[in-house]
Parts: sequence; structure tokens; C-alpha cells
Amino acid sequence: MTMPRPYALLAEITYRCPLHCPYCSNPVTVESAVPSGEQDGPTALRTAHTTTNNGELTTEEWKRIIREAAALGVLQIGFSGGEPLARRDLAGLILAAREAKLYTNLITSGIGLDDDRLRGLRDAELDSIQLSFQSDESSLADGIAGARAHERKLDVAAKIRTAGIPLSLNFVIHRGNIDRLPQMIALAEALGAERMELANVQFYGWAFRNRAALLPTREQVDRAREIANAAKARLAGKIDIFYVLPDYYETRPKPCLNGWGQRYLTVNPTGDVLPCPTASSAIPDLRFENVRSHALDWIWRDSESFNRFRGTEWMPEPCRGCPQREIDFGGCRCQAALLTGNAANTDPVCEFSPNRATVDALLHEINSSNGRVHDWTYRVNPTHVSVPA
Amino acid sequence: MAATTISDLARPSLAKGVRLQSDSTTGKNVLLYPEGIVELNETAHEILSRCDGRTLGEIVCELAEEYEADSNVLAADVRDTFSDLQRRKLIEFK
Repeated sequence: MTMPRPYALLAEITYRCPLHCPYCSNPVTVESAVPSGEQDGPTALRTAHTTTNNGELTTEEWKRIIREAAALGVLQIGFSGGEPLARRDLAGLILAAREAKLYTNLITSGIGLDDDRLRGLRDAELDSIQLSFQSDESSLADGIAGARAHERKLDVAAKIRTAGIPLSLNFVIHRGNIDRLPQMIALAEALGAERMELANVQFYGWAFRNRAALLPTREQVDRAREIANAAKARLAGKIDIFYVLPDYYETRPKPCLNGWGQRYLTVNPTGDVLPCPTASSAIPDLRFENVRSHALDWIWRDSESFNRFRGTEWMPEPCRGCPQREIDFGGCRCQAALLTGNAANTDPVCEFSPNRATVDALLHEINSSNGRVHDWTYRVNPTHVSVPA
Repeated sequence: MAATTISDLARPSLAKGVRLQSDSTTGKNVLLYPEGIVELNETAHEILSRCDGRTLGEIVCELAEEYEADSNVLAADVRDTFSDLQRRKLIEFK
């Protein structure tokens, strides 16, 4: 097998976030990555903090990672988190990425994006902004975010348009908002977005904990698929719609990451390098290397964590003898770990998995509960538990 | 249907947020857009590198001359390429 090269780096520059979405893919427990004494929550909306707090990588460390990633072959970088605007050095990092010829993408809630900072991003020649929305209107959206954010997001979207930065609207779809899909599509049209991501929630991190509250019914999922397909056809050439399937309802697993250690790498706020952003919490028995101890190149090529599920040699049956093995790569390692306790198992979404019953049991519960409402747990930031008033 | 509706006078350009760049690892040309990369074959690159204000008709003429190809056949291919890229919001017409 020839060594693959990475195409995209996801830079999770902080886990701090002013929102508390119950479907967040961040680890449910994270090591302290916030300076002691710093209060998050409402104060995070103002986001004025040092970048050398305990745990989080420094500006210079990130710049080194960006250069090393570009040398490895990376062409795209996504700045994410947490809320990446919580770091004051964001524009400087974007500039460094542009200097390394990377395509730069900011994945943000928009909270904290005032005129000054937007100018900074534009001057750094940021290529694209993906702005998250929780729904199409305030009461539901703010109820999902656990913060008063929707009206501010509308304002931010308008400012992004004015600044001329390409805009994508990102919606995570779940039982609490899936029936508003037509209105969410209409919002993307009204805001003049170039792209729109309608992502059925994937169950990792907080979303895994909140599965019972977030998983839609089969009827909802079928309707949503029709609506999304119709919108895709209607808006072709106007808004590019990317629809992420609700994989529990599929019979074949998603080709997660296009294969482990094939195209993507993630660096988390404290410098751990992950084949996938959810791997550190989903697969606790895998040890991940840190950029403070090793060069990115070595971690990508030689580390145990990046090689464990590379290629097809690691596969058990039924994947090993399956003609789909180079197409779906056995699905998602994190999902296998979360649902079966063993990351090397076939993704239990697959109809050939001996563990498919674990997924079916959950679907059965959701689809036979006659609309029983489950509560969700809001995401909390590391080391604090306050929720914005 | 869309393939036959693009006018000779249309001026294709890369859509907002789309970059044409060379991939230093492979030496190939790529289109970069949010969370997406398209590797271009030589023909697609020849077409896209001319999307700088020239009309579709002008691009077809130039390519027909350069490759000594039948311009009618070429025009159909170029329209197909543009039509596909436009649907994916990678190019737009002015």
C-alpha cells in the first residue's frame, strides 16, 4: 500500500463555545483547556482572552502545524472548535494558512463576529465561512443552542454578505427541528447563501449521550429526504445543498473519512492529532500523539493511531470478505466503538454486522414511543457549568 | 437540457469561493471550494484557465485552434463541462 497524503486539516483551535447545543460532537469530558479563573458562557460572547492558557496550543504552535500540514500535502484547512472566534489570534492563523496556500474555511456560530473581527478575516482573505444555525426562527433555535443567539446570527449573516465572503449555512438536523426543513432552506435562500449543509445528526460526543432525544422517526426522515432532494434539484446552480444521511436509518455504513488515515487529520485544542475529531473520546484505548512531542509528518505516516485502521488488513469478517470493503471501508470506527465496545468491529449500521440489532433496538424504541418526549442534556464547556441567561 | 441553453456569449467565471490552484504534491490542477476538492484533467484545466472574462464562443474557438479539433464537437464538450460545474456551483456566468 502506498502511503496516502492528507488533503484536509481540521483545526479545532478551542473547545470553548458560547453555545450549548446538545448534539455537539466535542468530547463529553475534556481535559481542562481553559485558563483557571476564566468564566465561559456569557463572558465568552465577548471573547477577549490570552492564547497561551493552560492546555491550548499557542499561536506559534498552530502556525508551525499549518506549515507542516501544507508540506504534507494538505490543501484545505477548517478552523473549528468549540467556537474558533473565542481565540483572538484567529485572523493571524488564517493569514498563515493563506500564506501556505491552503483553502481556508471558518466553521462558526458567528457569536463574537463583530465588524472589527470580520474586517480582520476579510483582510486575511478568508476563503469561506460556514455559519451554523439551529433552526429558522428564534424561539426554537435558541432553545436548541441553550443561548440567545439566533437574532445575532441573522445579523452576522448579513454582515458576511456585505463583506463579500462566501457563505455556507450549516444546519444539524434532529428530531427537534427536522419538521422545519422547508423553512430552513428558505432561510438559506433569503440570506443569499452559496452553500447549505443539511446534516442529519451523527451520534458522537454530546449527540451520542442525547440520542434518545435527537433521533428522528422514520416518517420524519423519509419526509426530510424528499424535501432535501426536491430543494437540491430546484436550487441547482443557485445554492449547492449537501445532505448528510441519517446513518442509523441506512442499511450500509457511511464511507467514514474515506478511510482511516487516508485523507483527513484533525488537531484538537491541546495538540493531539486525530484521524477523526471524535476518535479521542469514542476510542479510549487508542493512544494519540501530540504535536508537542512529534512532527506532524511522523504522526501521519508512522504513528500507531494513524496506522491501526489504515487499509483493509485490520478488518474482521464480514468486512474482510466483503466486495464493499474498499467502498465504505467498514464504516465508522468511532461508531463501532461506541455501539459495540470494539472499534475494529464492522460499523453496526451495516446490515451484515452481527451487531445491527443494537441500532434496530434504538430505532424501534424511537418509532414506537408515540411521540414521547425525551429531555436532552445541554453541552457544557470544560470546567464550567453556567448557562447564559 | 441545460447543456444546450448556455449561450456562446456567456462569460463563465469561477464561482465565488472557488479557487483554481496547482497541487504541489501531484503537480495536477485542482478546484478548491468549501470542504471540497476536484482534481482537474488536462481538458478541464484548459477550459477553466480561460474563464477570465472570455466568452464561451471565444474559449471554444481557441481550443479548436490549439487542438485542431472540430469546433462543433468541442463546443458540445465544453458546454457539458460548464453545465456540470454550474450545477455544482463551481462556476457561474456573467
